[in-house]
Amino acid sequence: MPSGGNKKRKKTSRKKSELDSAFDQVGDESAAAAMKEFQDLLAEAKGDSSELVRQNAQELERRLVLLKNGQIDKEDFDFFVENQKRDLRVFVDSQPAQAQERAEKLTLHVLEIAATKVVPVLIAMI
Amino acid sequence: MNSTLVARNVFLCVAAILIASCGTATFTKTGSDATIESLRNFELAFIDEFAVPGKKFNAAAFNAKVNEGNARFQQAIADEKFTARRPVLVDLKAQFDADAAHLKSKASRGKITPALASEMKKDVNKIYDHALGR
Repeated sequence: MPSGGNKKRKKTSRKKSELDSAFDQVGDESAAAAMKEFQDLLAEAKGDSSELVRQNAQELERRLVLLKNGQIDKEDFDFFVENQKRDLRVFVDSQPAQAQERAEKLTLHVLEIAATKVVPVLIAMI
Repeated sequence: MNSTLVARNVFLCVAAILIASCGTATFTKTGSDATIESLRNFELAFIDEFAVPGKKFNAAAFNAKVNEGNARFQQAIADEKFTARRPVLVDLKAQFDADAAHLKSKASRGKITPALASEMKKDVNKIYDHALGR
Protein backbone atom coordinates (compact mmCIF):
# COMPACT_ATOMS: atom_id res chain seq x y z
CA MET A 1 0.00 0.00 0.00
CA PRO A 2 1.89 3.00 -1.20
CA SER A 3 1.30 6.66 -0.66
CA GLY A 4 -1.41 6.33 1.93
CA GLY A 5 0.93 5.00 4.62
CA ASN A 6 1.55 8.30 6.35
CA LYS A 7 2.78 6.66 9.53
CA LYS A 8 5.55 4.89 7.68
CA ARG A 9 6.65 8.02 5.86
CA LYS A 10 10.29 8.80 6.34
CA LYS A 11 11.33 12.20 7.51
CA THR A 12 12.56 14.09 4.50
CA SER A 13 15.92 15.69 4.78
CA ARG A 14 15.62 19.40 4.13
CA LYS A 15 19.29 19.83 3.43
CA LYS A 16 19.59 22.23 0.51
CA SER A 17 19.87 20.46 -2.81
CA GLU A 18 21.37 21.84 -6.01
CA LEU A 19 17.82 22.58 -7.14
CA ASP A 20 16.88 24.35 -3.91
CA SER A 21 19.83 26.68 -4.38
CA ALA A 22 18.68 27.44 -7.94
CA PHE A 23 15.13 28.11 -6.76
CA ASP A 24 16.41 30.54 -4.13
CA GLN A 25 17.53 32.78 -6.95
CA VAL A 26 14.01 33.13 -8.39
CA GLY A 27 13.02 36.76 -7.95
CA ASP A 28 9.55 36.86 -9.48
CA GLU A 29 6.90 36.39 -6.77
CA SER A 30 4.47 34.11 -8.62
CA ALA A 31 7.31 31.99 -10.00
CA ALA A 32 8.82 31.75 -6.51
CA ALA A 33 5.45 30.55 -5.15
CA ALA A 34 5.25 27.88 -7.84
CA MET A 35 8.81 26.77 -7.03
CA LYS A 36 7.91 26.57 -3.34
CA GLU A 37 4.84 24.44 -4.11
CA PHE A 38 7.01 22.19 -6.26
CA GLN A 39 9.76 21.89 -3.62
CA ASP A 40 7.21 20.95 -0.95
CA LEU A 41 5.55 18.33 -3.15
CA LEU A 42 8.91 16.90 -4.22
CA ALA A 43 10.06 16.67 -0.60
CA GLU A 44 6.80 14.92 0.33
CA ALA A 45 7.20 12.49 -2.58
CA LYS A 46 10.83 11.75 -1.67
CA GLY A 47 9.69 10.79 1.83
CA ASP A 48 6.69 8.69 0.76
CA SER A 49 6.30 5.11 1.91
CA SER A 50 6.01 3.84 -1.67
CA GLU A 51 9.31 3.04 -3.34
CA LEU A 52 7.88 3.90 -6.74
CA VAL A 53 6.83 7.38 -5.60
CA ARG A 54 10.26 8.00 -4.04
CA GLN A 55 12.05 6.65 -7.12
CA ASN A 56 9.98 8.89 -9.39
CA ALA A 57 10.79 11.96 -7.29
CA GLN A 58 14.52 11.15 -7.30
CA GLU A 59 14.52 10.61 -11.07
CA LEU A 60 12.69 13.86 -11.61
CA GLU A 61 15.10 15.80 -9.41
CA ARG A 62 18.14 14.23 -11.09
CA ARG A 63 16.81 15.13 -14.54
CA LEU A 64 16.02 18.69 -13.52
CA VAL A 65 19.64 19.04 -12.37
CA LEU A 66 20.85 17.55 -15.69
CA LEU A 67 18.67 20.08 -17.53
CA LYS A 68 19.91 22.98 -15.41
CA ASN A 69 23.51 21.91 -16.08
CA GLY A 70 22.89 21.61 -19.83
CA GLN A 71 23.57 17.86 -19.88
CA ILE A 72 20.14 17.20 -21.41
CA ASP A 73 17.85 19.66 -23.20
CA LYS A 74 14.12 20.38 -22.88
CA GLU A 75 13.23 17.83 -25.57
CA ASP A 76 15.06 15.13 -23.62
CA PHE A 77 13.45 16.24 -20.37
CA ASP A 78 9.94 16.16 -21.90
CA PHE A 79 10.68 12.71 -23.36
CA PHE A 80 11.69 11.39 -19.93
CA VAL A 81 8.64 12.94 -18.29
CA GLU A 82 6.42 11.13 -20.81
CA ASN A 83 8.24 7.86 -20.01
CA GLN A 84 7.69 8.41 -16.31
CA LYS A 85 4.01 9.27 -16.82
CA ARG A 86 3.45 6.12 -18.91
CA ASP A 87 5.00 4.04 -16.16
CA LEU A 88 3.12 5.80 -13.35
CA ARG A 89 -0.39 5.74 -14.81
CA VAL A 90 -0.56 2.00 -14.25
CA PHE A 91 0.65 2.49 -10.69
CA VAL A 92 -1.89 5.24 -9.88
CA ASP A 93 -4.76 3.25 -11.42
CA SER A 94 -3.79 0.21 -9.38
CA GLN A 95 -4.09 2.07 -6.06
CA PRO A 96 -7.17 1.75 -3.84
CA ALA A 97 -9.67 4.53 -4.55
CA GLN A 98 -8.88 6.43 -1.33
CA ALA A 99 -5.14 6.41 -2.08
CA GLN A 100 -5.38 7.37 -5.75
CA GLU A 101 -5.68 11.12 -5.25
CA ARG A 102 -2.56 11.29 -3.09
CA ALA A 103 -0.62 8.93 -5.38
CA GLU A 104 -1.53 11.10 -8.37
CA LYS A 105 -0.59 14.30 -6.55
CA LEU A 106 2.86 12.97 -5.65
CA THR A 107 3.61 11.48 -9.06
CA LEU A 108 1.76 12.75 -12.15
CA HIS A 109 0.99 16.17 -10.66
CA VAL A 110 4.62 16.73 -9.59
CA LEU A 111 5.77 15.83 -13.10
CA GLU A 112 3.23 18.24 -14.57
CA ILE A 113 4.37 21.14 -12.39
CA ALA A 114 8.00 20.35 -13.20
CA ALA A 115 7.35 20.36 -16.95
CA THR A 116 5.11 23.43 -17.07
CA LYS A 117 6.43 25.70 -14.29
CA VAL A 118 9.88 24.61 -13.15
CA VAL A 119 11.54 23.88 -16.49
CA PRO A 120 10.91 27.35 -17.99
CA VAL A 121 12.44 28.94 -14.87
CA LEU A 122 15.49 26.67 -14.99
CA ILE A 123 15.97 27.26 -18.71
CA ALA A 124 15.83 31.02 -18.14
CA MET A 125 18.67 30.61 -15.62
CA ILE A 126 21.00 28.81 -18.03
CA MET B 1 -14.62 -50.64 -1.31
CA ASN B 2 -14.96 -50.09 -5.06
CA SER B 3 -16.16 -46.54 -4.60
CA THR B 4 -13.16 -45.82 -2.34
CA LEU B 5 -10.83 -47.08 -5.04
CA VAL B 6 -12.54 -44.98 -7.69
CA ALA B 7 -12.40 -41.91 -5.46
CA ARG B 8 -8.71 -42.52 -4.79
CA ASN B 9 -7.95 -42.88 -8.50
CA VAL B 10 -9.90 -39.73 -9.34
CA PHE B 11 -8.00 -37.87 -6.63
CA LEU B 12 -4.65 -39.12 -7.95
CA CYS B 13 -5.57 -38.16 -11.52
CA VAL B 14 -6.61 -34.65 -10.48
CA ALA B 15 -3.43 -34.26 -8.42
CA ALA B 16 -1.31 -35.46 -11.36
CA ILE B 17 -3.04 -33.03 -13.76
CA LEU B 18 -2.54 -30.15 -11.32
CA ILE B 19 1.15 -30.94 -10.81
CA ALA B 20 1.69 -31.30 -14.56
CA SER B 21 -0.08 -28.02 -15.34
CA CYS B 22 1.93 -26.18 -12.68
CA GLY B 23 5.12 -27.51 -14.24
CA THR B 24 4.02 -26.37 -17.70
CA ALA B 25 3.04 -22.92 -16.39
CA THR B 26 6.41 -22.49 -14.69
CA PHE B 27 8.20 -23.63 -17.80
CA THR B 28 6.19 -21.27 -20.02
CA LYS B 29 6.64 -18.37 -17.58
CA THR B 30 10.39 -18.96 -17.63
CA GLY B 31 10.31 -18.85 -21.42
CA SER B 32 8.25 -15.66 -21.36
CA ASP B 33 10.69 -14.03 -18.90
CA ALA B 34 13.58 -15.05 -21.14
CA THR B 35 11.88 -13.40 -24.11
CA ILE B 36 11.45 -10.18 -22.15
CA GLU B 37 15.10 -10.29 -21.06
CA SER B 38 16.11 -10.80 -24.68
CA LEU B 39 14.05 -7.76 -25.74
CA ARG B 40 15.64 -5.74 -22.94
CA ASN B 41 19.14 -6.66 -24.16
CA PHE B 42 18.19 -5.80 -27.72
CA GLU B 43 16.90 -2.37 -26.70
CA LEU B 44 19.93 -1.59 -24.52
CA ALA B 45 22.24 -2.58 -27.39
CA PHE B 46 20.17 -0.39 -29.74
CA ILE B 47 20.71 2.62 -27.45
CA ASP B 48 24.42 1.79 -27.12
CA GLU B 49 24.77 1.67 -30.88
CA PHE B 50 22.94 4.88 -31.76
CA ALA B 51 23.06 7.12 -28.68
CA VAL B 52 26.73 7.93 -29.11
CA PRO B 53 27.74 11.59 -28.83
CA GLY B 54 29.48 12.83 -31.97
CA LYS B 55 28.75 9.68 -34.01
CA LYS B 56 27.54 10.35 -37.56
CA PHE B 57 23.93 9.25 -37.94
CA ASN B 58 23.53 6.32 -40.33
CA ALA B 59 19.85 6.38 -41.32
CA ALA B 60 19.98 3.07 -43.21
CA ALA B 61 21.57 1.22 -40.28
CA PHE B 62 19.17 2.88 -37.88
CA ASN B 63 16.07 1.95 -39.90
CA ALA B 64 17.30 -1.61 -40.32
CA LYS B 65 17.72 -1.94 -36.55
CA VAL B 66 14.27 -0.45 -35.91
CA ASN B 67 12.75 -2.92 -38.38
CA GLU B 68 14.55 -5.75 -36.63
CA GLY B 69 13.20 -4.51 -33.29
CA ASN B 70 9.65 -4.25 -34.64
CA ALA B 71 9.86 -7.82 -35.94
CA ARG B 72 11.21 -9.09 -32.61
CA PHE B 73 8.44 -7.42 -30.61
CA GLN B 74 5.71 -8.56 -32.98
CA GLN B 75 7.01 -12.12 -32.82
CA ALA B 76 7.18 -11.98 -29.03
CA ILE B 77 3.59 -10.70 -28.82
CA ALA B 78 2.34 -13.37 -31.24
CA ASP B 79 4.20 -16.16 -29.41
CA GLU B 80 3.20 -15.10 -25.88
CA LYS B 81 1.27 -17.95 -24.26
CA PHE B 82 0.14 -15.92 -21.24
CA THR B 83 -2.61 -13.67 -22.57
CA ALA B 84 -2.21 -11.46 -19.49
CA ARG B 85 1.38 -10.79 -20.55
CA ARG B 86 0.49 -9.53 -24.02
CA PRO B 87 -0.47 -5.99 -22.87
CA VAL B 88 2.87 -5.84 -21.05
CA LEU B 89 4.69 -6.67 -24.28
CA VAL B 90 2.58 -4.08 -26.09
CA ASP B 91 3.70 -1.50 -23.47
CA LEU B 92 7.33 -2.52 -23.99
CA LYS B 93 6.88 -2.13 -27.73
CA ALA B 94 5.44 1.37 -27.14
CA GLN B 95 8.57 2.22 -25.13
CA PHE B 96 10.78 0.93 -27.96
CA ASP B 97 8.82 3.05 -30.48
CA ALA B 98 9.20 6.14 -28.27
CA ASP B 99 12.93 5.49 -27.76
CA ALA B 100 13.49 4.99 -31.48
CA ALA B 101 11.62 8.18 -32.38
CA HIS B 102 13.51 10.26 -29.81
CA LEU B 103 16.88 8.76 -30.77
CA LYS B 104 16.26 9.38 -34.46
CA SER B 105 15.27 12.97 -33.81
CA LYS B 106 18.32 13.66 -31.63
CA ALA B 107 20.96 11.60 -33.44
CA SER B 108 20.03 12.95 -36.86
CA ARG B 109 20.72 16.47 -35.55
CA GLY B 110 23.88 15.47 -33.68
CA LYS B 111 22.27 16.29 -30.32
CA ILE B 112 23.10 13.16 -28.35
CA THR B 113 24.71 13.68 -24.95
CA PRO B 114 26.21 11.08 -22.59
CA ALA B 115 23.51 11.91 -20.04
CA LEU B 116 20.75 11.24 -22.59
CA ALA B 117 22.10 7.76 -23.35
CA SER B 118 22.58 6.96 -19.68
CA GLU B 119 19.07 8.15 -18.66
CA MET B 120 17.45 6.30 -21.57
CA LYS B 121 19.06 3.06 -20.43
CA LYS B 122 17.90 3.66 -16.86
CA ASP B 123 14.31 4.04 -18.12
CA VAL B 124 14.58 0.90 -20.23
CA ASN B 125 15.85 -1.13 -17.29
CA LYS B 126 13.12 0.26 -15.04
CA ILE B 127 10.23 -0.53 -17.40
CA TYR B 128 11.56 -4.05 -18.05
CA ASP B 129 12.00 -4.67 -14.32
CA HIS B 130 8.39 -3.60 -13.79
CA ALA B 131 7.28 -5.84 -16.66
CA LEU B 132 8.96 -8.77 -14.92
CA GLY B 133 7.31 -7.84 -11.63
CA ARG B 134 10.55 -6.77 -9.93
